[in-house]
Amino acid sequence: MSPPVYLDHAATTPVDPRVAAAMAGCLGADGVFGNPASAGHFHGEAALERVEAARAAVAAAVGADPDEVVFTSGATEADNLAIFGVAEHARPRGRHLVTARTEHKAVLDPCHELERRGWQVTYLTPDERGRIAPERLAAALRADTVLVSLMHVNNEIGTVQDVAAFAAVCERHGGARLHVDAAQSVGKTALDFKAGGADLVSLSAHKSYGPKGVGALLVSRRRGVRIEPRQFGGGQERGLRSGTVATHQVVGMAAAFALAVAQREAEATRLAALRERLWCGLEAHGGAIRNGAPQDTVAAILNVSFAGVEGESLLAAVAPRISVSTGSACTSASGEPSYVLRALGRDERLAEASLRFGLGRSTSAADVEEAIEAVGAALSRLRRIGGGCVTAP
Amino acid sequence: MRYSALTRRYFEQAPGAGTLEGPGVASGTAGSRSLGTWVRFDLRVACTADPPGRIVEARFLAFGCPHTIAVAAWVAEQAVGHIPSAELLQPVDALRRSFDVPVEKLGRLLVIEDAWRAAAAAARK
Repeated sequence: MSPPVYLDHAATTPVDPRVAAAMAGCLGADGVFGNPASAGHFHGEAALERVEAARAAVAAAVGADPDEVVFTSGATEADNLAIFGVAEHARPRGRHLVTARTEHKAVLDPCHELERRGWQVTYLTPDERGRIAPERLAAALRADTVLVSLMHVNNEIGTVQDVAAFAAVCERHGGARLHVDAAQSVGKTALDFKAGGADLVSLSAHKSYGPKGVGALLVSRRRGVRIEPRQFGGGQERGLRSGTVATHQVVGMAAAFALAVAQREAEATRLAALRERLWCGLEAHGGAIRNGAPQDTVAAILNVSFAGVEGESLLAAVAPRISVSTGSACTSASGEPSYVLRALGRDERLAEASLRFGLGRSTSAADVEEAIEAVGAALSRLRRIGGGCVTAP
Repeated sequence: MRYSALTRRYFEQAPGAGTLEGPGVASGTAGSRSLGTWVRFDLRVACTADPPGRIVEARFLAFGCPHTIAVAAWVAEQAVGHIPSAELLQPVDALRRSFDVPVEKLGRLLVIEDAWRAAAAAARK
């Protein structure tokens, strides 16, 4: 039996073989295995050279300067460093933050923790297409607002936000830093740190065919951004993230980003065609509702709610044939429906009965047809078992 | 979520899914689709008066998670040949263990029990 078709590239991607080869060159005794902080000997210098080359490559891929790149263990750590780092540094000026209900948990949970510690947080609600209007952001800013954290590409529905417009709002305000979680962005849509106007940007490698366990926080030097570190013990990464830099990981991230940026436009065109075929096929099954509008979303993500079925059963029924996620961040037994889809106005049942299709480099037209068939068969069976009600009463 | 082999088998095969019509059929429902779990049992009972007739055919419908569908299918399958009693053939807790249902889903099994009781009560009339 062949394995299910992988359609969860928004969760993670396989490491590109070229990336793996570059990483392998930094692991063994024959490779560049030295500690990049061990200045003064051959092996340390060689590793440092690789790390700095990787830093330059990551910076080039996202329109940043190399000295603006702080390597981390991933986007979650980068989000935490940005949010706590700004909040702590700006504490004398204010204790108010603005974010959105549709952010990733890596942003929402730090905000909740800051609330617990006495900060105030305003949570913006998107429109039904998942967009945050800059006017709503402007209205939420207060004299004591020190940070705005809004994502670039939503991880569940793929909506691309207008970061430049958010930056302009923050610029007019004068006191609020803008942090952008761009974990899903590289290779899916254009990302230009300098032109975008954000103060801080979080990045992840494994969403872009790089390894898990590495990411970066871009910290604008041009804009004079200052943050407090969260981790101590060696002063690496300009004192913002102590700990030995994992040479093989950052080399992998750099190689992956270079490939992703080089292939971005052609891949986006290819995936957009596959995504639209997928949507047409799913829509034909009846009771399908598209979450997010095609003109606002990256080509690699399609999120669909299905009426008349229960979400956990839908996922279980398609699992032997396709690997997808529910729209929910939580697929535990509690069955908590997606807070992102709830924020968009979907009712609890529809939010629960949604699938996120994450298309990627390996996705073929045949894979899309398999997904259409698998979902159709599951819907037909579950609706029959459930009494044939396509709309929940 | 990982499912036991028993749960996966009854979820995938769902024996007895459907409805019954005609004389001698009693039905019972419980739960609500809008709340995430809804179950219906249809029982056809042999026409003997005293003692009450035995179940000769049983069907179920279920809107719910794989555990709900699997347990409802099992209940319908096992009902045939038995007298329609208010009690399930296995208590809810035993079913929970047999199908490896997480404890936080106990409420869904109680919906199955309520639907069964309603159907059995209708059948006894």
